Amino acid sequence: MEKMNDKLQKTAKELLENKEVNLIIGFTKGSNPLRMRSVFITDPDDVSKLSFNAHCVQDLAVFLKKPEVKKFGKVGLIVKGCDEKAVNTLIQEYQLSRDNIKIIGVECRGVVKQNLADKGEDSVKQSTVYDKCLVCEVHTPLLYDYLVESDEPAFEINGDIKPYAKIEELDAMSVEDRNMFWQKEFEKCIKCYACRQACPLCYCTRCIVEKNTPQWIETNIEETGNAQWNMIRAYHLSGRCIGCGECERACPVNIPLMLVNEKMARDVFEKFGYKSGVDINAKPVFGTFDANDFNEFIK
Amino acid sequence: MARIGVFVCWCGSNIAGTVDVKRVAEEAAKIPGVVEAVDYKYMCSDPGQNTLRKMIKDKNLTGVVLAACSPHMHENTFRKAAVKEGLNPYFIEIANIREQVSWVHEDKEKATEKAIDLLKMMVEKVKKNKPIEDVRVPLTKKALVIGGGISGIQAALDIANGGVEVILVEKEPSIGGKMIQLDETFPTLDCSSCIMTPKMVEVYQHPNIKLYTYSELEEVSGYIGNFNVKIKKKARSIVEKDCTGCGDCWNICPMHKNVKSEFNVNLSERTAIYVPFPQAVPLIPVIDRSVCLHYKKGGKCQKCYDACGPKCINFDLQDEIIEEKVGAIVAATGYDLMENSLYGEYGYGQFKDVISGLQFERLLSASGPTEGVVKRPSDGKTPETIVFIQCVGSRDPEKGVPYCSKVCCMYTAKHAKLFAHKVHGSQSYVFYIDIRATSKGYEEFVRGTMENEGAIYLRGRVSKIYEDNGKLIVKGADTLSGNQVEIAADMVVLATGVIPKKGSDKMAQMLGISYDKYGFYTESHPKLRPAESSTAGIYLAGMAQGPRDIPESVVSGSAAASKILGLFSKSEYEVEGTIASVNKTTCVGCFYCRRVCAYSAISKEEIKDRNGNVLKVVANVNSGLCAGCGACVNACFSKSIDLKGYLDEQIFAEIKSLAV
Repeated sequence: MEKMNDKLQKTAKELLENKEVNLIIGFTKGSNPLRMRSVFITDPDDVSKLSFNAHCVQDLAVFLKKPEVKKFGKVGLIVKGCDEKAVNTLIQEYQLSRDNIKIIGVECRGVVKQNLADKGEDSVKQSTVYDKCLVCEVHTPLLYDYLVESDEPAFEINGDIKPYAKIEELDAMSVEDRNMFWQKEFEKCIKCYACRQACPLCYCTRCIVEKNTPQWIETNIEETGNAQWNMIRAYHLSGRCIGCGECERACPVNIPLMLVNEKMARDVFEKFGYKSGVDINAKPVFGTFDANDFNEFIK
Repeated sequence: MARIGVFVCWCGSNIAGTVDVKRVAEEAAKIPGVVEAVDYKYMCSDPGQNTLRKMIKDKNLTGVVLAACSPHMHENTFRKAAVKEGLNPYFIEIANIREQVSWVHEDKEKATEKAIDLLKMMVEKVKKNKPIEDVRVPLTKKALVIGGGISGIQAALDIANGGVEVILVEKEPSIGGKMIQLDETFPTLDCSSCIMTPKMVEVYQHPNIKLYTYSELEEVSGYIGNFNVKIKKKARSIVEKDCTGCGDCWNICPMHKNVKSEFNVNLSERTAIYVPFPQAVPLIPVIDRSVCLHYKKGGKCQKCYDACGPKCINFDLQDEIIEEKVGAIVAATGYDLMENSLYGEYGYGQFKDVISGLQFERLLSASGPTEGVVKRPSDGKTPETIVFIQCVGSRDPEKGVPYCSKVCCMYTAKHAKLFAHKVHGSQSYVFYIDIRATSKGYEEFVRGTMENEGAIYLRGRVSKIYEDNGKLIVKGADTLSGNQVEIAADMVVLATGVIPKKGSDKMAQMLGISYDKYGFYTESHPKLRPAESSTAGIYLAGMAQGPRDIPESVVSGSAAASKILGLFSKSEYEVEGTIASVNKTTCVGCFYCRRVCAYSAISKEEIKDRNGNVLKVVANVNSGLCAGCGACVNACFSKSIDLKGYLDEQIFAEIKSLAV
């Protein structure tokens, strides 16, 4: 880890000193040894704060949509492969100029689930990492200006743990049962919108839920409005969600939002052969029409 | 406070037969905001419209809802009536209780309930209506015609004679299209080139027509009145202004073997530097670089250059891109013939003397490869017996196309007739499914072929053709007599089906017009707007729309021209105001709207502060281009786009009106 941190700090320092960026967003040590938090560095002398390990869970790309960060102009972002796909999507959707970002990609071997880390878990193995790490195809980020290689070995996957196992279970259910399952989950929603705030791709300045002439989505906390909110959010992210899992991590009532997102991503890939966040020049699946598109639903 | 008038139309018994119109009116009168609800036998009639106008005036209406037929039928009628009473035309709403209710339902009780629901929705909608102004766009009074066949030529001449500048773009080195390849034309047997060449020359000499041959459309952007087009003028390798068309170059070209003449449908050869036919317009040759020895052998051969008096051959000329601005476009891209090779049983390509109808035209033509003497391609002998097979590919959903190609019955009758004229004592057999000869003089023409020229018509299909001792043995069925027939023929002519010109789908995509599953361009309305495409400012002509004969192609060219002259007779073009508008405060500029817009109507707009710094980039709708389809409204995540006349609020009010 020391070698990684050295390289991170050196890269960040150079970028700041050469005025190639005005701000570096990265990770630093948090309140306890197994918690890492975000840090914003403008002074080259502060780069020693930067650090990376298997507890760097947060998707820092979320900050790129903030006006407070945007006003810095050129920004350097320290980013894992999964989260880097959010950067790609932001560029693809004109929310970020490629010229305004220096991507300091870190090779990631997986991040430890925070609830386990809080209990002292520090080792990276298939039983301790997030499901997204088990299906990860981007241990090395797809796009970067600088790459910081990992000095840790990859963990072993032996198939004992099935990532997103619940999806198959839900797929096998009857429509009524599946509906019931989600009704129960959405019942818990308190409309705090933490999912939206934590999402790097929920960048609308006026969310549809805040539109009140007319008010399409019920804002009070009850069955209809809750389902409307969560489903519309899922639709707005289909073909866009890059699977960082921040919404689910942010949810105070533990709605398994990644099941919806992952299911949507799988459907989009299966029906349209599209994976989000892979290519900054790709046409997003929701903004593209192809005469050969899957259209079985039109009878 | 809303003051809404409701009118329930009977449409005679069309609506009143299935919907209790009195009850619908009674229920409407109970809706808050409705000041009066009446029913009337024919709202579109003059007295009906007067009732509407009178109520607008007397009751000082703020909105009107008609429960009647589809807005496609009479929305404009009622809007005009409203405007006469000073009401904004967009305060007229129509609940379609004919197409969507009375015509599709039988149960009067339930149909009436549905009619009431639809009406309620419209009343709630009209309460939320806002005045809309129509959009006026300026017009560039210049037209582009794509395709220099007979329909394109006709369109170009008519527009040009109306005093408007025309650009005519033709892909081939000469204009003339398919018609100039024909020999004599049915039903009057006037020679095609005799009636066609004067028109071609007129195009060439017309002061209002700019002709680009050997050129292709590269790019089209813009909208009605304001199209920007890029035309690729392919390099002819000839400095056109210096060329006299003397022919010294093509006469000396050593490449006179192995290159098939497109004009003679592969029945003769042409040189590498060539004019497609002697009457070509313009009479300027072109070098086919794919076969020319100069290009293939690194510049060694330059015989044409040496022979050329004015030295107008320039081997280094490059393709040129020409940009033009036009206000209207005619798509007259024409047709191709189906591949005869699809029909293996007829032996096309296998037996030299099985030829297509268009090849037979060339054999008949005085300017053709045999100078008008009918000779077999195999041995040059004059055939005495010819079998003509109709519907090769047409009306054959299995292997060809299900539609009728329309011209084949007539040209086959013409072929048989001309064959009899040219080869005395010869015999024609025609296999047909039905004879379709429906225009003026057509039936008489076919009768004449049968009765005066002795052509034998056999109703049935051919199952097999094979060669035997220099003859083509044609086996088929005569379904009228119920006999199998076997004819020993010298030649077989296939009346091959008509299909859209290769690449016409790509052209349609470039123009943004719709086409059917075969690739023929679709009309804005099949009956009432046959010259208009689905996109404003783009008109259709000729076979690009579907099979048709020469008179119909000429008519369609003139129709497109008259539409364009009508359009250009005004100083501005008025577009319906029901277009998209962006809430620039909430727009975050993700441009999904731009991605889904089929009309390229959305552009980027920079929002700047007073010092000129860009604060953000948002979507902007070009009101001339927007067709009001609403795709962008759906694509917008933050609901920052609204469609005027179909505002979110209005749709919401409609839905809410149904809430129980």
